[in-house]
Amino acid sequence: MISIRNLHVHYQTDQGRVHAVRGIDLAVQQGQFYTLLGPSGCGKTTTLRSVAGLETPDEGEIFIGDDLVFSSSRRIAVPPYNRDIGMVFQSYAIWPHLNVFENVAFPLREMKARSSQPEIHKKVTAALTLVQLDGLADRPAPFLSGGQQQRLALARALVKEPRVLLLDEPLSNLDAKLREETRFELRELVKRLKITTLYVTHDQLEALTMSDIVTVMDQGRIVQSGTPMEIYQAPQERFVANFIGLTNFIEGRVDIAATGENGLGEANTASGKIRCVLPDGIHSGESVIIVIRPEDINIIAEHSSEKENVLRAKVEAVIFMGDALECQLSVGNQRLRTKLHPSSVVRQGETVSLQLPPLSCRALRGA
Amino acid sequence: MRAMPRLLFWQYGIFLLVLGLVLVPLSFLILGSFSTARLPTDFSLETMGWVNYLKVYTDPDTYALLGNTVIYVAGSALLGISLAVTLAWLVERTNMPGKVWIYAGVPMTLAVPGMLQAMAWVLLLSPRIGLINKSLQNLLNLDRAPINVYSLGGMVFLEGLRLVPTAFLMLVPLMRSMDPTLEEAAAVSGARPLSAARKITLRLLAPGLVAVMIYQVMTALEVFEIPGILGLPAGIYVFSTKIYAIIRSATFMPVYGQANALAMVYLLIAVVTTYFYARMISRVEKYTIITGKGYRPRLLDLGRWRYPALALVFLYLFLAILLPFLVFAYASFLSYLQTPSLAAMKGMTLKNYRFLTQYGEVGDALKNTILMVIMTATATVLLSFFVSLVVVRSKFWGRKLLDQLAFVPHAIPGIVLGIAFFWVFLKIDFIPIYGTVWAISIGFTVSFLSYGSRAMNASLLQIHKELEEAAYVSGARPWRTLLRVFLPLMMPTFVGVWIWVVLHAVRIAGLPLILYEGPRNQVLSILIWNMWDQGYVPAVAAIGTLLMLTLLLLTLAVRYIGFRRQVVQSPTV
Repeated sequence: MISIRNLHVHYQTDQGRVHAVRGIDLAVQQGQFYTLLGPSGCGKTTTLRSVAGLETPDEGEIFIGDDLVFSSSRRIAVPPYNRDIGMVFQSYAIWPHLNVFENVAFPLREMKARSSQPEIHKKVTAALTLVQLDGLADRPAPFLSGGQQQRLALARALVKEPRVLLLDEPLSNLDAKLREETRFELRELVKRLKITTLYVTHDQLEALTMSDIVTVMDQGRIVQSGTPMEIYQAPQERFVANFIGLTNFIEGRVDIAATGENGLGEANTASGKIRCVLPDGIHSGESVIIVIRPEDINIIAEHSSEKENVLRAKVEAVIFMGDALECQLSVGNQRLRTKLHPSSVVRQGETVSLQLPPLSCRALRGA
Repeated sequence: MRAMPRLLFWQYGIFLLVLGLVLVPLSFLILGSFSTARLPTDFSLETMGWVNYLKVYTDPDTYALLGNTVIYVAGSALLGISLAVTLAWLVERTNMPGKVWIYAGVPMTLAVPGMLQAMAWVLLLSPRIGLINKSLQNLLNLDRAPINVYSLGGMVFLEGLRLVPTAFLMLVPLMRSMDPTLEEAAAVSGARPLSAARKITLRLLAPGLVAVMIYQVMTALEVFEIPGILGLPAGIYVFSTKIYAIIRSATFMPVYGQANALAMVYLLIAVVTTYFYARMISRVEKYTIITGKGYRPRLLDLGRWRYPALALVFLYLFLAILLPFLVFAYASFLSYLQTPSLAAMKGMTLKNYRFLTQYGEVGDALKNTILMVIMTATATVLLSFFVSLVVVRSKFWGRKLLDQLAFVPHAIPGIVLGIAFFWVFLKIDFIPIYGTVWAISIGFTVSFLSYGSRAMNASLLQIHKELEEAAYVSGARPWRTLLRVFLPLMMPTFVGVWIWVVLHAVRIAGLPLILYEGPRNQVLSILIWNMWDQGYVPAVAAIGTLLMLTLLLLTLAVRYIGFRRQVVQSPTV
């Protein structure tokens, strides 16, 4: 539904020219909830604004459906008002001089094919009902709460039933509790409408819980793209592993290159030999970084039969988090963090045995 | 909590003082408008009647006057606003180069007194001696001067130029505070640029724009100097100059009551405009709304129009400051005004400056001015501070009323306030104040009280109540608290208001002209006015050059010291 090819965007700041987007390629399928995730300044919002037509890229092509809306080689740049889109801004951009009804009616009144007055009334009411703002139609826009403004912005973006919905950090101005509720409401709504959605956020939790596809960006480039589960469980770059969730990194060198199924091999580390999933085509002797999530590390009984990937570690600190017990451990110089069930009995200063399930240890090519 | 009793006494004192300073002159103005006696001194309650109103409102001249005023005010406000909107838009929304110069240069135009600017334009565009007129005549072989500055057109042009800086300074923050995503939202909602500009940008700016416009109308209505220099010689009157003409009539015995009757309409118009201004301002505040990280608006690429746009801006700065100054400086070195030529250059002399040191009235006027300006500025600062102290910090029952009383002078044109005090001072002749510099100082202090108390209110509101209370619990008595806490914290505001008053008191001619009696209370602005009237053009040029230089340097100094905010945000100019 949206397809971007080799997108490059520069913009001018006081400090000079910034190469904000450096060759992005992506494709969003019909009805998909597609998220661009990354730290601020990674180019995600610039990419979104290029799709909206609010930024003019320097190079590349953008399709919305079958319409070529931007092409540097063919010198096409369809202005935003001629693109079939709806957009929610981070600040919501609710026009303060119009009431709720007129804010939502605005896109309809700007359409080339004029809608009749009763038709506009019907569509606006439907849109307001959709976001549960019915009954507030006559309220002046500045008299809405933050959550109501966010829903109003959504109604305005949806009212002309665009093919594509663009969302620029729409939840970041809400307080924590409301943000959590709205996450599920929003996903449920766009899925019910089957509308293709491009979503920009820096919040990994939003990205993981709402999206069909998460694309992680850094410094103007796509680092990794995949389902939330792939992104979380199989990060292919240190940046992705680090940016999403808590991660342990163990440096080492490949000892036995992948043999057998699952790409399992062995690596030598300061903490001993570790069996792990190796990247394709890596040879013995090459350096790797082994990534393992805290919740994947198990503490096992002293005389367990488990022999594979068992390490002796000292408990440095135990922090009660409510839903979990976080342990900070040391294996020689290597620091590790694990998440345990809150009822686990671990004491600071004692020595425990750790087991790292080989399939949860993913080796990335080292620097 | 119990208020401190000694402070309560103060509060009554301040309240009564302001009440007297504002209401006494206004009542005299109203009573005087019904007085059938010729002179204010003969006024008594027995000689009252509608005769002045009848005379004024059956006179066809009054309606011509009304027409002139409407054309002059509307024309100059329109010209000023259009120029200011263009300038503000260029610096805020386009990639025009050299913006720093505009931000610095436009406020500087405030430093040039209106009277001098008008005189400079007479030197350029008068049909008899105007340099531009003469050059054009020679160049195009015309037998008549092509441009006459002594006209409504001349007044509109010049007052229009003069309105630009305040309008600009009010518009820039207005444009800057507008969230650019509001316009982007219109674009992604399918609105074309023109439609978005009309339905969103303009509508959002509308309340602010209207407020600025009303404010400019008030200013144009009040100004005396421009219509005084350009309109009076040609017999083109607006309200402010007509009232002056009635009182200072050389041919007829003045009828003071008629001036009052006319001043009453003038006052009414000014009060109504002020009321609408206040209402507009409260609407502007309602439009504020939460904003996110707020992308800076994409600056419009002017392309090859960047430099022509800059040239346009520089043309404005040239017309508003540089040209008047150059003309004055040039004329001040000549024995008589002549178009620039080699002969003129050779004839340059310092004799005009020498003349100033010999002409006795100059020294006296200078002394009077310095005394008047220092007294006015100090009195304004002190009075506004104590008014604000009561309004912002006390639980005094009349504090709201006091605040409104202090704001009333904002709506009174300088000439009208002058007439009102003129009656007061003549009537209370048991206090010998009429004809002294004190009279001018008192008039100005009341006139500037509205600005002073607004500035003090804003500043005092920022000093947390607990800073004051901490001083009390540390054992400081009220007056020590004043000295040790308020004074140091509010020093920037004190100095800012003080300098603002000096800059204004020195250049305004309307109010002093009404209260002027003779050499005893002649201040610089009156001296310049009188010398101009008597045709001492080169001497005026010399004084004007020095005065402009002083004011420009003072304004630069103010900006440098960093009181820019207070001076720049001044509501009255």
